[in-house]
Amino acid sequence: MDILVVDDSRTMRIILQRAIKQAGYRTLEVAEAENGCQAIEKLRGGQPKLILSDWNMPEMNGIDFLRHLRAANNKVPFGFVTSETSAEMRSLAMETGASFLLTKPFTPDDVQEALSPFLG
Amino acid sequence: MEVDLSVATVVEVVQTIFSSMIDLEARPAQAAGLPQGSRVTSSVYLEGSWNGAVSVECGLKDASFLAGKFLAVDPPESFDDDVRDAMGELANMIGGNLKATMGMDVRLSMPSVIHGNDYQVNVCGSVVHDRIAFEFEGGCCWVTVLSKDSKESAKQSSKAGQNGKM
Repeated sequence: MDILVVDDSRTMRIILQRAIKQAGYRTLEVAEAENGCQAIEKLRGGQPKLILSDWNMPEMNGIDFLRHLRAANNKVPFGFVTSETSAEMRSLAMETGASFLLTKPFTPDDVQEALSPFLG
Repeated sequence: MEVDLSVATVVEVVQTIFSSMIDLEARPAQAAGLPQGSRVTSSVYLEGSWNGAVSVECGLKDASFLAGKFLAVDPPESFDDDVRDAMGELANMIGGNLKATMGMDVRLSMPSVIHGNDYQVNVCGSVVHDRIAFEFEGGCCWVTVLSKDSKESAKQSSKAGQNGKM
């Protein structure tokens, strides 16, 4: 898998995958998980180049998922995709180890700008 | 606490979401009233320095149309998980973006979605801050912003002062 998309909303997982393709990353393999717990299971099968995660999810939310990764010394590039972008959330995300926050709604150009430092 | 959630702000948020995510133009409209018959209402709740709710309501046909646009499929023929999820995500995005304009310590709930023919949603102790109808490709939805009724809050605070209890 090249990108792991983590979101409890199937709608958002589909929208994000569509935007990734429209941003030019048509050949990348995108895997999905519904929450942090499922994502951790998916990662047992391999390390992606990038994780895109929602913030609010049941069972394990995005920030706790990121904390889990960093505590396990997993340095995979990580970006939040969220409709909430307060200064406090942005600060917490970066301090915890996220590389960026992509705000909903987003365009394919927004996705390309966020992903290009990690995917080329 | 008063927040500047002007009609212009709500319109801009909704139009940006529609154009960015599903390539639809949403125009503020003079629609007669809330949808009747089979309809869908999705809501998110905000709590903290500002308390209120944001809901999106439309007829089932229009909700299905929006779900189809989000998922790039034919509109579902009935209310299903896709319609529920799409409408929940729409409320989540509108609520989240309005929350971002507040610049305060406010938390956003997970979305809730109701479908039926004969129901009324009441957010206790709230008043309608804005209710705006939007037209899109032959369909219509209503976005409502509810805020905590400050007069009710003041009444309760006054009673607490008198008897020491909330």
